[in-house]
Amino acid sequence: MMPQLITISIRQPRRKAFRLWIPLLPLLLVLSPVLVIVLTAGVVACLGYRINPARALWMAWRLLCGLRGTRVDVEHGRTAVLVAIR
Amino acid sequence: MSEQRRDVLQMLAEGKINTDEAERLIAALDREQPAMVSDVDTRLRTRPKYLRVVVNIPDTADDGPAQVNVRVPLQLLRAGVRLASLIPPQALEHATDKLHQSGVPIDLSQLKPEQLEELIEHLDDMTVEVDQPDAKVHVFCE
Repeated sequence: MMPQLITISIRQPRRKAFRLWIPLLPLLLVLSPVLVIVLTAGVVACLGYRINPARALWMAWRLLCGLRGTRVDVEHGRTAVLVAIR
Repeated sequence: MSEQRRDVLQMLAEGKINTDEAERLIAALDREQPAMVSDVDTRLRTRPKYLRVVVNIPDTADDGPAQVNVRVPLQLLRAGVRLASLIPPQALEHATDKLHQSGVPIDLSQLKPEQLEELIEHLDDMTVEVDQPDAKVHVFCE
């Protein structure tokens, strides 16, 4: 299953904490025209390098699905950055 | 019949141990067997899902301690390894040549995706701990 939500949280001293929730599915829908162009370019590149485009797309999809559960948390003094993919 | 039980009977037949000792050894083996099976069950049930990298740097320059906490799903590593299998042979040859020029005698074309997948499968047994006065690094699977 593909990730549904990306959370970005930034905390800095003397500043208000910044939190951003990015729902991936609506984002993909909004970017779908761009995605079509990117996918077409990817398929052409695969054919150019003699790679099976279907296999490459399947692998890229697996990579995207594998991102679910990734979490990067960096904290230094009173500054912190958190990126979580759920 | 297990190998150990056969060894006990062999020793009994050869007269190295008497019947009482053989009985005690077989009873001890019976007690050990279920514990080993449950160990394997627990291991299979609690198969790790994530690779964790934790770095702790104590407060040295008065700007506070630093901590890095990264959690990468093992599924992502597996997918990445499979994606690497799509690299065209020409690109692998080119990369191998560059590695040789840099003094790294590794032939990337000999590195099979199955071997890399096997490596990731065995990552769950791995724990790396680096404990220095200025930083602590802990790499493990959970």
